[in-house]
Amino acid sequence: MRRLRPKLRSVWVFHVDAGACNGCDIEVLDVLTPFYDVERFGIKLVPTPRQADALLVTGSVNRQAVIGLKRVYEAMPPKPRIVVAIGSCAIAGGIFYDSLSVYGGVDKVLPVHLYIPGCPPRPEAILFGLGQLLGIVNKKVRAEEYIVKEPIKDRGYRGLFTERIYKDVRYFLTKYVGYYDRDEILENVCEVLRESRSIEEVEHRLIAKASSVRDPRLREVYLVLSGFVVEQLRGRSRT
Amino acid sequence: MSYEIPHRWIVTFRYPLEPLPPPKELRGRPIIDPNLCIGCGACVRACPPNAITEEIDISKGIKVVKIFYGRCIFCGRCWEVCPEGAIRLSNEFELATPNKDDLIQYVVLPLHKCVNCGKPTEFTERQVVRVLTMIQELPIERREELRSKILLCRECKASFLSKPMELRGSEVYEKVKA
Ligand code: SF4
Ligand code: SF4
Ligand code: SF4
Repeated sequence: MRRLRPKLRSVWVFHVDAGACNGCDIEVLDVLTPFYDVERFGIKLVPTPRQADALLVTGSVNRQAVIGLKRVYEAMPPKPRIVVAIGSCAIAGGIFYDSLSVYGGVDKVLPVHLYIPGCPPRPEAILFGLGQLLGIVNKKVRAEEYIVKEPIKDRGYRGLFTERIYKDVRYFLTKYVGYYDRDEILENVCEVLRESRSIEEVEHRLIAKASSVRDPRLREVYLVLSGFVVEQLRGRSRT
Repeated sequence: MSYEIPHRWIVTFRYPLEPLPPPKELRGRPIIDPNLCIGCGACVRACPPNAITEEIDISKGIKVVKIFYGRCIFCGRCWEVCPEGAIRLSNEFELATPNKDDLIQYVVLPLHKCVNCGKPTEFTERQVVRVLTMIQELPIERREELRSKILLCRECKASFLSKPMELRGSEVYEKVKA
């Protein structure tokens, strides 16, 4: 892999939209706003590629855009000619990766020096990437490989808490809440099921939980859920 | 009333020279917890840009779940569908790298071996364990029937289940029960 030149003093950049949905372009503009102010590092957006040291490419590189992209690249001064791929589209095609009209990635047509993933990347993520060009930060990610040897971690099944009820509650919750709240509610319900001795206790504790939650939407979810859990447990104990 | 001087005249964040903690809800890099993943492939089916892929290597007896952050659009579909709660979106966003290979996470899972012939099947050991815990609540005859299907590979299952009840070798039953 090409090494980044460790110290570039002041990088002038030119921004090319190679078929982006405009999400990434707006984030590139955000980086120039007073909150993030990339010009304090000497990075400047220039209006012509002839003055540019680096090219910020966004978008999935479609067949029409590739002609312009190559011409812009050739118009840049021969050194240092840095290419930065911003966004999932520019790295590997992103959501449009299997579309007919895209190349899927800037590195299919130009040598790329820096990849900034995200859809779109946050302004901080772009700053972090540009910081690497200047040598003020180091990269944090690396490839990770886990070879699984041990058996699966037990979720602590006992008493009323079984694998089936866990799955049922999980799919039930998917209809009512997003995954962000779901995991928290699921964890609480598991705790209640694990510690309760009888079905009445489960019902009682879930309703108590509902009244202690401040968010009215989550309170509603707890109430509906307590009915569902009790019905499931009763149905199971009858058979 | 006095004219108060604003708390700070400078609004620019010092990032990246100083850390700037991201919001709690930020959808950042999805991470698979290798202690929980069973290799079911639900996330592979759900991922809109196919950032997650799975590969089965029967000869080595492994299944590889591979996630490539370069293509991920941080939508959270994988988190939504994972039946084990193994994959979650962390709030790491500092993913920029000069090397594309840094953006990959692999989880290598061992495949289940058929109890009759010992060859690797297409599903993982952990999937079998999960199914066996899930069928605990069924009536005993249904559970035994499912056990004999779960623990065998495709060929053994076909030859075993196509025979009528009386002709099924008892030794296979013994192995399945063990
Ligand atoms: S990476 Fe996402 S935000 Fe950026 S251009 Fe592609 S689809 Fe739009
Ligand atoms: S859905 Fe979850 S358990 Fe299944 S392969 Fe993906 S991460 Fe692993
Ligand atoms: S967040 Fe979306 S794009 Fe990224 S791995 Fe999960 S499902 Fe795929």
